Amino acid sequence: MGTLDFLLNGFAVAFQWQNILFAFVGVVIGTAVGVLPGIGPMSGVALLIPITSTLTSGMPVEAAAASSIILLAGVYYGAMYGGSTTSILLNTPGESSSVVTTLDGYQMARQGRAGAALSIAAIGSFFAGIVSLIGLVLLAEPLSRVALKFGPAEYFALMLLGLCAVSGLAGKSMTKTLIMTVSGLLLATIGIDGVSGIARFTYDLPILYSGLEFLTIAVGLFALGEVFKTILERDKESGAIAKIDRIVPTKQDLKDSAVPIVRGSLLGFFIGVLPGAGATLASFFSYIAEKKFSKHPEKFGKGAIEGVAGPESANNAASGGALIPLLTLGIPGSGTTAILMGALIMYNVQPGPLLFNDHPEVAWGLIASMFIGNLMLLVLNMPLVKVFAKIIQTPKKYLLPIIVAISFFGVYAVQYTTFDLYLLLACGLLGYLLAKNDYPLAPLVLALVLGPMIENNMRRALTISNGDFSIFLTRPLSLTFIIIALAWLLIPLLMKFKGRTVVVNEED
Amino acid sequence: MSKTFDRFASITFLLVGLLFVIESRSISQSAYGSTVGPNIFPTALGIILILLSIRLLFETTKYKGQEGTKEPVQYVKFLIIFVSAAIYAAVLEPVGYVISTFIFLLIAFQTMERGKWISTIIIAGAFSFGIYYFFSEFLGGSLPGFPEF
Repeated sequence: MGTLDFLLNGFAVAFQWQNILFAFVGVVIGTAVGVLPGIGPMSGVALLIPITSTLTSGMPVEAAAASSIILLAGVYYGAMYGGSTTSILLNTPGESSSVVTTLDGYQMARQGRAGAALSIAAIGSFFAGIVSLIGLVLLAEPLSRVALKFGPAEYFALMLLGLCAVSGLAGKSMTKTLIMTVSGLLLATIGIDGVSGIARFTYDLPILYSGLEFLTIAVGLFALGEVFKTILERDKESGAIAKIDRIVPTKQDLKDSAVPIVRGSLLGFFIGVLPGAGATLASFFSYIAEKKFSKHPEKFGKGAIEGVAGPESANNAASGGALIPLLTLGIPGSGTTAILMGALIMYNVQPGPLLFNDHPEVAWGLIASMFIGNLMLLVLNMPLVKVFAKIIQTPKKYLLPIIVAISFFGVYAVQYTTFDLYLLLACGLLGYLLAKNDYPLAPLVLALVLGPMIENNMRRALTISNGDFSIFLTRPLSLTFIIIALAWLLIPLLMKFKGRTVVVNEED
Repeated sequence: MSKTFDRFASITFLLVGLLFVIESRSISQSAYGSTVGPNIFPTALGIILILLSIRLLFETTKYKGQEGTKEPVQYVKFLIIFVSAAIYAAVLEPVGYVISTFIFLLIAFQTMERGKWISTIIIAGAFSFGIYYFFSEFLGGSLPGFPEF
């Protein structure tokens, strides 16, 4: 069967009525998550995992995995649409990947062109979504075929590369980032060791035998951490929302933004494919590129539509691109994709090269549903943008306690233990304290998800080589990965040493 | 960035690393299924964590006096909500989901902002009953609904 047949089968999955519904719910919630400042795509996806797992509980495993990943991915790319709305209307980005959109988007809104900015952002995001999907379709098969030839040594090196890439770009202090990564790996060793069956660090507590639940930690660190932060540091009430008059952009607007949309989409897609560099960096680079290419760079910051079109396309394309390493190699490149991976593993679906062979329904169903989801987002966002803008007025005094209650419900409904609720609260507190002091949380979650796989691959490789560690350096591919991994850590350090400013990726 | 926090954190991480290294020694050495036993990975990571925390500790000595950042103001609100969330976790099983959630939400709403009793009662009630019935009746999940007598 060729790629096209698989894609058609994927559409057959995506067009099942429950999956259309799931994609719809996903993108609507995603847009809301993007609009609400405070809840980013990461906590949004983490909070919805327990809810999707109960919604799909009656279905066969494979179909359940497909449906829930369709919903969760919808939240992920839907948030990219929603994030632009508040950047433009309120000058407050809903999440970090829309920060640069405030520069020109809000200026446009002040000039009474809010509608044009919003619709260009939606059109750009739609186009970018389609571009990244085509890329996904084209790259998925060849990449996973290459990855099938990997042995444990290559896998170990590749996962190390993934971790180093995320750590190299994640925070202000490399030491702190590495500490978080190593802590995540250590937490992942708690429980029964998969290779030897020996319990580690469990202290005979049965609750620890299965290890610390990834979901509890992710919800605690991201969602509760953010809630605690907002309670403690209540920020000022946001200002007035700019008025939206006409939604349809003028011909001139469309003409001005066509090229930036294409450029932003391509740039964003390739940045998204790279592990570690997520949607935030993509939008940032796209803005710089547009400013460079523009004939009127002085217009930027004063309401240039290119400054909205480029970055907004780039962040959406990046979120699609980020799915490629996840689906084909089994290596998540960002915090949100790590959470998506955790969700797939909960369904016993292992992302990676075998995904396309073992679970074509999940992989291609997801890809096809993204076509549908992006279309829904475009249709929803153009006329309903005023409705979504209202979400931002949800009073915090109701929103925050309800997020706490939803986290409790979600964790309890999946785990059925009070222990996990205490763990959740502890992680929330830790998440607040660590994030406040520039300890990035995404590497920890990524390490927690990748930990068992890194360890198993390392030990399998060492078994093959009879305990000789040089296996990682004598195999050409594995050596290449390790060199790239080291470079990813060392180059930012060198640049800092030379006094250059290094762009860091905020959590996304 | 707070110097005190970073110092405290580096020492905590150092102790965590030490704990993992020490505790790894008591993992049995069996290498069944692998040449490398289950203790190597955590031991190595523990050592790396110790080294990193020592580095962080050194870095904190280089900070210039950046103290005096704005401290959060709403300690009381946070403490009330945090403690009531902990109590909520403790009583969820014995008291049941509906009542514990309702009371937790009521306390949290009123802590966030006093007044408007009627709307807080309606929202808290709708959420706790709504989630419970949706989940256990409609989706067939199991939650401890009400106290068992």
